[in-house]
Amino acid sequence: MSLRVQYARPLNVDQTVALLGELSSGAVIIAGGQELMPFINYGRVSPSVLVDISGLKDLQNIETSDDGLSIGALTVHRDIQINPLINEIAPLLAHAALQIGGGRQVHNQGTIGGNIVAMHPLYDIIPALLVLDAEIEITSQQGSRIVSMADLINESNHKMGTHAVLTRVLIGNSPAGQGWGYEKLKITDGCYGSANAAATVCLAEDGQVQSVRLAIGAVTEKILNLSEDLATFLPASPDADLDSRIAGIVESAVEQPLSDQQGHGEYRRAMAGVVARKAFHQALDMARQDMALRERM
Amino acid sequence: MAEQPYIGRKEKAPDRVAFVSGRAHFSSDFAFEGQLHAHIIRSPHAAAKIRSVDLSGALKVSGVKIAIDGAGAAEHLDPIPHHIDPIVFGGRTTDLFCLAQDHTRYFGEPVAVVVATDKRTAQYAASRVVVDYEPTASVTDADLALKDDAPLVVLGWDDNSIMQVPFCGGDAEAAFKDADHIVKTQVRVHRQATQPIETRTYNAIWDEGGQSITLYASAQNPHPMRFALAKTLRMPENRLRVIAPSMGGAFGLKMHSHPEEALICLLAKLTKGAVKWTENREECLLIGGREQTHDIEFALREDGRILAIRDHFLANAGAPGATPGWGMAFLTGLTMPGPYDVGNLDVWANIVVTNKPPWSACRGFGKEITALALELCMDKAARELGLDPVEIRNRNFISSNDFPKKTATGLIYDSGDYAGALAKTVESIGYYDVKRNQEKWRGEGKYIGVGLGYEVTPEGGALPGTMVAGYDTSTVKVDPGGSVTILTGVTDPGGGNRIGIAQIVADELGVAIEAIRVLQGDTQTCPYGFGNYSGRSLIVGGGSAALAAQDIKEKIVKVAAALMEVEEGSIKIYRGVVTSSAKPESELSFNEVCYAAYTRAYDVAACIEQPLEATRTFKPGLISHLPDEQGKINPYPSYSNAAYAAVCEIDPGTGVVKLLKFAVTHDCGKAINPVLVEGQACGAVAFGIGGMMGEEIVFDEGGRQKTRNFEDYVMPRAADVPEIVMKHHDSPNPVTFMGLKGAGEAGVGGSAAAVVNAVNDALAHLGVEINDLPVTAPRIWSAIQKAQSAQKAAES
Amino acid sequence: MSEIHEILEETAFLQCKVNGVSFEEEIHPSMSLLDLLREELKLTGTHMGCMTGHCGACTVSVDGRIIKSCITPAASVQRKKVITIEGLAGADDSLHPVQEAFCEASGFQCGYCAPGMVFSTVELLNEHPDPSDAQIRKALTGNLCRCTGYQSIVRSVRQAANQKTASGDHSE
Repeated sequence: MSLRVQYARPLNVDQTVALLGELSSGAVIIAGGQELMPFINYGRVSPSVLVDISGLKDLQNIETSDDGLSIGALTVHRDIQINPLINEIAPLLAHAALQIGGGRQVHNQGTIGGNIVAMHPLYDIIPALLVLDAEIEITSQQGSRIVSMADLINESNHKMGTHAVLTRVLIGNSPAGQGWGYEKLKITDGCYGSANAAATVCLAEDGQVQSVRLAIGAVTEKILNLSEDLATFLPASPDADLDSRIAGIVESAVEQPLSDQQGHGEYRRAMAGVVARKAFHQALDMARQDMALRERM
Repeated sequence: MAEQPYIGRKEKAPDRVAFVSGRAHFSSDFAFEGQLHAHIIRSPHAAAKIRSVDLSGALKVSGVKIAIDGAGAAEHLDPIPHHIDPIVFGGRTTDLFCLAQDHTRYFGEPVAVVVATDKRTAQYAASRVVVDYEPTASVTDADLALKDDAPLVVLGWDDNSIMQVPFCGGDAEAAFKDADHIVKTQVRVHRQATQPIETRTYNAIWDEGGQSITLYASAQNPHPMRFALAKTLRMPENRLRVIAPSMGGAFGLKMHSHPEEALICLLAKLTKGAVKWTENREECLLIGGREQTHDIEFALREDGRILAIRDHFLANAGAPGATPGWGMAFLTGLTMPGPYDVGNLDVWANIVVTNKPPWSACRGFGKEITALALELCMDKAARELGLDPVEIRNRNFISSNDFPKKTATGLIYDSGDYAGALAKTVESIGYYDVKRNQEKWRGEGKYIGVGLGYEVTPEGGALPGTMVAGYDTSTVKVDPGGSVTILTGVTDPGGGNRIGIAQIVADELGVAIEAIRVLQGDTQTCPYGFGNYSGRSLIVGGGSAALAAQDIKEKIVKVAAALMEVEEGSIKIYRGVVTSSAKPESELSFNEVCYAAYTRAYDVAACIEQPLEATRTFKPGLISHLPDEQGKINPYPSYSNAAYAAVCEIDPGTGVVKLLKFAVTHDCGKAINPVLVEGQACGAVAFGIGGMMGEEIVFDEGGRQKTRNFEDYVMPRAADVPEIVMKHHDSPNPVTFMGLKGAGEAGVGGSAAAVVNAVNDALAHLGVEINDLPVTAPRIWSAIQKAQSAQKAAES
Repeated sequence: MSEIHEILEETAFLQCKVNGVSFEEEIHPSMSLLDLLREELKLTGTHMGCMTGHCGACTVSVDGRIIKSCITPAASVQRKKVITIEGLAGADDSLHPVQEAFCEASGFQCGYCAPGMVFSTVELLNEHPDPSDAQIRKALTGNLCRCTGYQSIVRSVRQAANQKTASGDHSE
């Protein structure tokens, strides 16, 4: 660890990435601090340079366009929860942000960007973004590029390197009639999740399940993106057979389950199936309600 | 007896505004000129030889004042006196030092320390201390520690047992032979920890002129701590002053003889300055307790009457420590068989050392484990004999007519009405409603269970030859202006006993409570006292303050009578107004009389000896340290007790337990302040709930503690604790002031047992029973899975 | 060396207001807001319980929203308004209604968690003047108490809500 820490408070993204481009790998970006500060406090992480982006206003706004939502990486969880645009276009994300632990204090200070780059298996944002097919804007000195959330979790060090900064989260408009669900299993209120599932469901006119997107958190080191695995047997009718197929796919996808205070491996695998079914049914019910509503109109 | 406008009332804390506005002062809030900060380097191994400690890297850091290792500290420090030396009870002992020297016995053991001008520099410099360890074989499991080939935790001992000690009486063997039924189970209680939200702080200031040290400490027992510090520091006690400011909870953690106490004092002495150390949460979590495995058996008659209890248990006390932790296992055995009238006992405690960090006192002090073992086995007996859990308890309780009652282990219970308290709890929780509807709910897929727990909690303990004293002392001073100061030897770890003491003295003196100030926790100003533990503070702090107040009242009455020219017997003092039945037309203020007592020493106040100050000690009866014919003693004056009940619902798909209801009926003898009693009881229930549903300290294969923070050690949050229905069922203790029995400690075991019994009740139809604690969702789920696959296998 | 390096400093310059008083100083870049308040400003009413953001004893308000000061970098409150428990009372030292309620309903035992509990209650009642029992318990999820079993704290929050509803004050 080091005693001296160099500090910069860049004025904008350009300055941030210009600085990052110049610095060696000891530089660490800090914003809300919710992820990093516990490690700094206990001397477990000791950055030689802190780049404080907490003041970058252009990363704190939420915008819409014809393509959907663009959320600044420094948007705090509380704003994700209550923002009308997010609640209209991506209510699943608003709901997932409500599930984040630590209480209101953490919701007021933690940022969506920080939650993503932590790549923590127990956190709630990434499963939601995966099923929303979200994209991430990453900016470096070379410019900005867009990476899908699905690709991002497959890469070590979130494909960003130490010279780039996560700048925006992009979420496309949902297909009409899409239902969503989010299920988090906590064994007590103070626990982190033992298993989390985010799901979306689209129905065909005949009530068949057209598409299911599903992501499972808190069960394996890497958050599981199972949308493609489920696509193989769709469309299908939403019956018990589909249920057990979903649970089967989920449980077999859990190769090396986590084992910690939130539960042992066998439990985590089984709970992955439980939350997957619950999230799927929440999404299915919502899609059906939506369809019934449209038929009445 | 004087009128009691305050006793029994829900009086609020006089200093409440300070606590809600951030102006109360806790130990870590003090900072002195040139304040230095210490950072402790701890062993990363469960067992290792220490080949060398290189402090040079730390000493080179600018701002570092001193760095010291075990050898360096030993030049200045003697071993830490044991809070309760096992040798007093026939066990094994060993010298314990503030810093490890040639080898380390547990993960987290202090090995070296660095002092610098600020926290960050100290932390950084500590990272530059190089310790060369040679890891050696370690053992963290108590069973394994007793194997012939187990590594020895303490070199020089024959094995890893501190002591094997019997708590026997009657003829258990014969009773087991004659029994209609024998019910046995294994109750495994896991390692838990106290975890007050305020961790420990020690801030020591050296005074060169006085060659003395003042230590600001989160300390439950300032005077005994000073005694221990004096021994370790090779200084006389009169050169040491311990001040314990407001404490942010303690629960036993802040009892003395932790290695950091004398170490920080030494560093102040060596730097001739002020040195502060505040424990971080990771360090605090090292200090554990409760881990015991009980193989418990009841010999029963057909009607459910228990003829004998056999319980051979193992306690994993961790590495030897100077704090009183190990003694908890001793008390687990001593307090058998709890509330039950069972004369035939075959109880053996084997208290084992391992390479886990040492135990320190944990609220319940072993008595909670007695309740857990008995109550879990009791419900098993009820299930096996087809008896209702209420009924089987009622058939075995000590009758309220049998007090005082001497138990098989030599304790003498003062009073109680166990069946009466249980009946109230059964009513509060709606016990029979749950029982009636259980099957119907099961049909709806709802697994709902109700569980009971009873706990007898001996309080006010006194152990011969230790600093665990049964008595305490208070000084009451009344000034010429009529204000009242109480200086007491008991401390307030946060439960609010200062409020109760003020209520007692206000009523004894007949003054308004606003006139009273209670000062605690300062060895220089308070009378010699033993501080807070064992639910004693109102029994002996309140009792001694009452006696002192009575002495002063006598003087004030004399002066008042002289001033009013009436008989002393006609004087009445109520809320600061002095009247006489002989002269109803005239009155004096309490303050006027006090002024006269000081200023008219040669006329009206010639009848008294000035000043209006008295120091008295309350020494409760019933304690007996003279062994009886079987060599048994009674270390307690008081036996508080309570009945607990929980209703829970279990989601069979996930094992998640939701507590729906909780009820307590408490016998604390007499509630001086119901808010304080209920606060303590609700806090203890949350401890019991947390201990069974989330809190667990775990180690890896190498004996390194994995539980590092509150993410790992999951304590209950507001949503985890249901509304608690609280009732009182007080039987006054005949040998204490006003019948007090103590209310500070009870409830961890009784409430924990109620939770576990409720879970087992909810799952009984599946044949599931979990006595391997905690009863967390993953364990419950696994047990359900196991039962269901066994059922399937049986069907096919 | 390019010019961009020039924005790197050995310390962080912090300008903020704490309880209405301006603060302008160079601070250590990785200092927590908790340490700034306690060590630099001697505002010791904000308490250290874990330094990992789990216990909530260090809760303060920044720009009107509660946060955990132990895991909030001090440098990040640049140009913001921090209110600690010492600053919650009125200028005349009259207690905030939530502080009053915690006094009246004995909402603490040792008092160590009390400042954090008070802040969480203030934020709850600003949004839900008449919360349900479940809302109260949920709102306290970021704060640990080890003494009370939460019973007297929930009672105090309820009392604060009742006072607020009775006085018709929904303004804050």
